[in-house]
Amino acid sequence: MIALLNILVAVLISPLFMTFIKKVKAWAQRRQGPPLLQGYYTFMKLLKKETVLSTNSSWIMRWAAPINLAVMIIAALFIPIVGIGGSGNILLFLYLLALAKFFMALAGLDAGSTFGGMGSSREMTISAVIEPVTVIVFAALAYVLGTMDIHRMALAVLANGPQAALVLISMSLFIILIVETARVPVDNPETHLELTMVHEAMILEQSGKNLAFMELAHAIKQTLLMGLLMSVLFPYGLATETTLVALVFGIGAFIVKGLCISFFVGLFESSMAKSRLFLLPNLFMLAYFFSFLTILFEVFA
Amino acid sequence: MDLFTAGFASMMGGALLRSRVLTLLACLLIAGAAGIFLTENQTITATFYEIVPGLSFAVHIDRLAAFFMLTIAAVSFCVSLYSVEYINQYKHKGLLISLMNIFILSMLLTVAAGNTFSFLFFWELMALSSFFLVMFEYDNDKTRKAGLFYFIMTQLSTLFLFIAFSLLYSYTGTTSMEKIILQEKSTFLFLALFIGFGIKAGIIPFHKWLPYAHPASPSNISALMSGVMIKVAIYGLLRFLLVLPAELWWGLLILGAGTVSALLGVIYALKEHDIKGLLAYHSIENIGIIYMGIGLFVIFSHYNVPALAAMSMAAALFHTLNHALFKSLLFLTAGHVVHTTKTRNIDEMGGLIRQMPYTALLFLIGAMAISGLPPFNGFVSELLLFQALFNASAVHNPIIELVLIICLSLLALTSALAAACFVKAFGMIFLAMPRSAQKTHEASWPMLLGEGLLALACVILGIFSPLYLNSLGYALPNMMFIGGALLFSILFFFLLARANTRYCETWGCGLISQTPRMEYTASGFSEPIVTIFSTIYNPQKHVSKEFFDKSQTLVREGHVEFHLMRFFEEYLYMPIANAAMVIASRIDTLHQKDMGAYIAYVFIAAVILLLWVGWFA
Repeated sequence: MIALLNILVAVLISPLFMTFIKKVKAWAQRRQGPPLLQGYYTFMKLLKKETVLSTNSSWIMRWAAPINLAVMIIAALFIPIVGIGGSGNILLFLYLLALAKFFMALAGLDAGSTFGGMGSSREMTISAVIEPVTVIVFAALAYVLGTMDIHRMALAVLANGPQAALVLISMSLFIILIVETARVPVDNPETHLELTMVHEAMILEQSGKNLAFMELAHAIKQTLLMGLLMSVLFPYGLATETTLVALVFGIGAFIVKGLCISFFVGLFESSMAKSRLFLLPNLFMLAYFFSFLTILFEVFA
Repeated sequence: MDLFTAGFASMMGGALLRSRVLTLLACLLIAGAAGIFLTENQTITATFYEIVPGLSFAVHIDRLAAFFMLTIAAVSFCVSLYSVEYINQYKHKGLLISLMNIFILSMLLTVAAGNTFSFLFFWELMALSSFFLVMFEYDNDKTRKAGLFYFIMTQLSTLFLFIAFSLLYSYTGTTSMEKIILQEKSTFLFLALFIGFGIKAGIIPFHKWLPYAHPASPSNISALMSGVMIKVAIYGLLRFLLVLPAELWWGLLILGAGTVSALLGVIYALKEHDIKGLLAYHSIENIGIIYMGIGLFVIFSHYNVPALAAMSMAAALFHTLNHALFKSLLFLTAGHVVHTTKTRNIDEMGGLIRQMPYTALLFLIGAMAISGLPPFNGFVSELLLFQALFNASAVHNPIIELVLIICLSLLALTSALAAACFVKAFGMIFLAMPRSAQKTHEASWPMLLGEGLLALACVILGIFSPLYLNSLGYALPNMMFIGGALLFSILFFFLLARANTRYCETWGCGLISQTPRMEYTASGFSEPIVTIFSTIYNPQKHVSKEFFDKSQTLVREGHVEFHLMRFFEEYLYMPIANAAMVIASRIDTLHQKDMGAYIAYVFIAAVILLLWVGWFA
């Protein structure tokens, strides 16, 4: 019950957070920005449009978007969004994201355009370099909270209260959120300029419903990573039982917390410039350092 | 026991009669026998033929041996099925069949060996038969070089094993596998075993023969060598490791060697454009992952954490089986691709998914399994290993914990790089437009059947093995539920997205039509990774340009060469080879003398001998 609600809320709320970040960025530039429901309008518009496929492409192209969306929806089972319930092996969650990325990168190569290849190549490079960081962060979480299940991690934080180590881990988790959702300084979601494109280049050949699915999957991924960050940093408000009040409160709390993180992400993006691709490993080393430090503390404590 | 005997006899018959059907039958029989054997907890011990007292051919099969026999027989069955059609392209078909039968039989008997003598005998038989198989296309220069390299390395491995077994005999006074139990410390013995089996398994820095031998040999043989032969070395290491009194540094050495092999294997694979060379480097990577599991087993056993030790061992064994399945699948599909395109360079392929959709699908399954993506089998074994590493705190020793955490992050890097590498491989071979004119065709059904069985095993093991492992007390996620839910929702969204589609050419930035030259190449794809890991690759660029004008602004023509450092070749193999050459040339000068000199040698030798005898008498 809670698990299904988690999925439903994650799917429904994701475009809102996506647009809200754009809104915050617009405010930072003293523009008005898109209306808050723009994400939903775009999704509906794309669903109505026809899908244009390249004559060079194969079934990989046709399956990539459905696979991406399906994987993200399954991955939503693993994260406490509204409430705590369900299984949440953190490594399986990570590998589901990798599965989605694998097909997205293949689809980028499928049409045979240079942009797609460039995007796939860069995306797989970034994902390879961020992977040890992610695993170390997860290992640090498992060390501190004593479990590999994300739902149980949230429960542990609820039971034991905030810890200093978790704040350090949260910084690394925030960097992972930025990297995985293709945001400045790793990638620039706004631009369609070949120098800076990573994620956008990969899905350049997608259109119609496939594009809608891809964008929704991307938005859900962002929501899930936000959910992960929140269940470590501030899990208060999560429903632990299936009463109506708890669930409604859980949904409300999630929206508020999500908007807070989105606001912060928007500010973070506005305050930075896109960094050179080959300078990115430095940023990742920072995240690696934070979580390794946490483990050091735990080991020698 | 009868089934085993029947299987061995049938395999031998296959070798003599050059019959493909007998090979298939033999594999089935042995796989069945080993499968039945695994469910029962018993051992078979028998002596076949005693040459002199103490030296005999004997068989000793317990569950460990049966597990490896099952792996070998199952993979050999699929490979033989594929070979029924595949070997028709070769001239000396009968010879290939016989050699292949001898090769499979020697692998099975090495695993089943009841004493160190028969182990060494069949080990050597395995080395020789595989050497002849590598040399099968001997009219090619590169093949001859590869074969020779392989021969030297594999003999080196036998040499170290010979030393190890002699030491073992001098310690215990027995050659029999079941009676070997050692209490005293045995550093030299372990090192000899480690190097001997390490060479055969392809652990870095003894790995150099793999990227030579695999591309050179016929693809079904590559599948057998990479899929199962290097696993025999894993079996050997495990077999003797379990009876020796393991020390902590052994575990650290195995873990370290495994981590380095896993990471460097995949890093070298990324820059490799020869499809079979790429797969060979991935064998090094996966052997590294298996070694990590074995090393963890030793470490956790040392710190007396049996649950985690068992988990690491399960990860190592399960990954052994998994790698055998998906690697042979990849080699078989790659073999068909190489056969039809007549090239091994993936930069010249492309667009093959349209001519060979089934081969592409099967390769994709293999690629996903080797990248450790759910819901395939590679994921489950990597998950076991990750979980064992996540519980590093159980050892209660800060330094070891930190070592394990570092290994954990390197394992993650390895697995992500493997995914990148297989996106490259699949994308360049099968997707987009063909980069060269090719007339290709789909594989015939026996080939597809052999590959299909392997792919099916990858899927089934990935989805159902967590259920089995959970019944043994592991806490793995329910892959059946995840896989089912995934399949259902993928199908749902696919059907939803199907309506209202139109085909159109890829947008080429305003150019009229798209050409294959616009596509990303394999070199281009891996370029960012090469740049990031430039300390490991040490890429060197030599640019020479000619100009029209003196101030060097208008380029007439230019020439660029890229070189990546071959670290082990330049700093390990070549110095050893050069040293050997120097010593040999010194000794060689002794031979360039006249009659008088030789008489002097004999005289000196006789005097030394007499003095020596006199001294000790």
